Amino acid sequence: MTQTPPTISLDGLSKRYGDHVAVDDLTIEVPAGVVAGFVGPNGAGKTTTMAMLLGLVTPTAGSGTLLGHPLADPAAYLHRVGALIEGPAFYPGLTGAQNLAALATVAGHDRGRIGELLQLVGLGARGDDRFRGYSLGMKQRLGIAAALLGDPDLLILDEPINGLDPAGVHEMRGLIGRLADGRRTVFVSSHVLAELEQVCDWLIVVDHGALVYQGPAADLGREGAAIVAVPEHDADLQRLERLLNAAGHDSEIAGAEIVITVNGSEPRRLAADVNRAAGAEGIVLAELGPHKTTLEDRYLATVNGADR
Amino acid sequence: MTRTFKAELLKLRRRRILTFAALGALAFSLITTIAVLLSAEPAGSGPEAAGRGPTLESLSGAGGIAESFATGVSFLGILVLVLFIANFAGEFSQGTFRTLLMRQPKRIGLLAGKMAALLVFAAGALALAELFGVLISLAFAPSQDIATSSWLTLDGFGEIASAYATALLGVSAWATLGAALAVLVRSIPIALGIGISWSGPIEHLTMDFWAGAAQSLNPR
Repeated sequence: MTQTPPTISLDGLSKRYGDHVAVDDLTIEVPAGVVAGFVGPNGAGKTTTMAMLLGLVTPTAGSGTLLGHPLADPAAYLHRVGALIEGPAFYPGLTGAQNLAALATVAGHDRGRIGELLQLVGLGARGDDRFRGYSLGMKQRLGIAAALLGDPDLLILDEPINGLDPAGVHEMRGLIGRLADGRRTVFVSSHVLAELEQVCDWLIVVDHGALVYQGPAADLGREGAAIVAVPEHDADLQRLERLLNAAGHDSEIAGAEIVITVNGSEPRRLAADVNRAAGAEGIVLAELGPHKTTLEDRYLATVNGADR
Repeated sequence: MTRTFKAELLKLRRRRILTFAALGALAFSLITTIAVLLSAEPAGSGPEAAGRGPTLESLSGAGGIAESFATGVSFLGILVLVLFIANFAGEFSQGTFRTLLMRQPKRIGLLAGKMAALLVFAAGALALAELFGVLISLAFAPSQDIATSSWLTLDGFGEIASAYATALLGVSAWATLGAALAVLVRSIPIALGIGISWSGPIEHLTMDFWAGAAQSLNPR
């Protein structure tokens, strides 16, 4: 069985502006058909990386392929890529539909799909309004409609959720989920992981231009898994912590509970050890279970860990 | 380039733009034709004596039919410069050039297609302005006692064609200057500042300096 090659494959990609390193030796792969979140703090190099993928910025070093074609030849793959980068930029005096018609003409795409795409992004009733009258959410959605004009195999969306109100964020997340129909790869950036958490199945985390994590979203920060123990009486907190540390467990007090890092142990066995040790000292545990962290917590821990 | 050309024409073919261009051409023709015909006086009796304007006699010749258009177009340079700077630099300041580049990565092709479409549009507007100028001149000349018998002749049509070609050449030159400035500095106010400074005092100073230098080097 042949394995599908990655949609995006970068090898040591770097971009420097004088002394400033915007992207630092980035080596990543985005498998075909996934929704890949490209996450990092502001200034982490996300937009610069995307601009290099789209041929808008020339890399200082490194190489890569997009849809099997080298980055150095964007003309070979751009017709299969739809993108929204650095915010939606359209002609303010043209209507949404006219803007899409102009872009479809430049790209050689079928203009007959414009109505269908406006419907898809929820602008069916506003397609004949001028772009300058659109709200930010409508502009973002028109940007996505424009990116979809050529029915692309790869969709690159740069911070599509940025600046949207909660309802807009919810709508946009739903839209991104709908666009990822299993056939198309979506590469979407954000500086707030929580915005993408529900739609991403693959994550690439960058900070200061360098890679911090890449892989399945569910695996991010998994090595930092922990269990939490809550004694019946707060007075037992410090005694239990000392007891666990003396037994060789990595534990610390966090509020009214003790967090014990799994550190490669079997979580179930560790929980049993903790329960046994507490019981032997006459400490009754009111709670004992997995330490529940959100993907955002694990992302922040990963980025902060990389900073250290 | 062809696709960019078609996309730009798509934008220019909007009813609002076409109406604005037609009304502009009509207003331009009305103002220039009436101004030229009203200001014309017999040879040796007015400002034309200093060689600054057409005379009633020159207007009665075959070239009279396109005189007002030719005179008016000579004032269009700055307007063309401003329009092209605004159009090209606007692509950069609005971010639409980046949007286009993601569809067609060849910058030269994008700029050339856009330039070609805008020049075609300008050529159409000039043709319309000249047509209006000819019609208004034909309607207005008798009231100024200007003979029009030699206007609708082969020579007259030749003068119309010649005035059009000259106008198109001039507009193309100003358009190229405007587009080049816009692409180089990518900012409407800075490009306008440079363009207007050049077309005003700097150009005249340079020409005066050049003429003075040529005269001193070649006193004959």
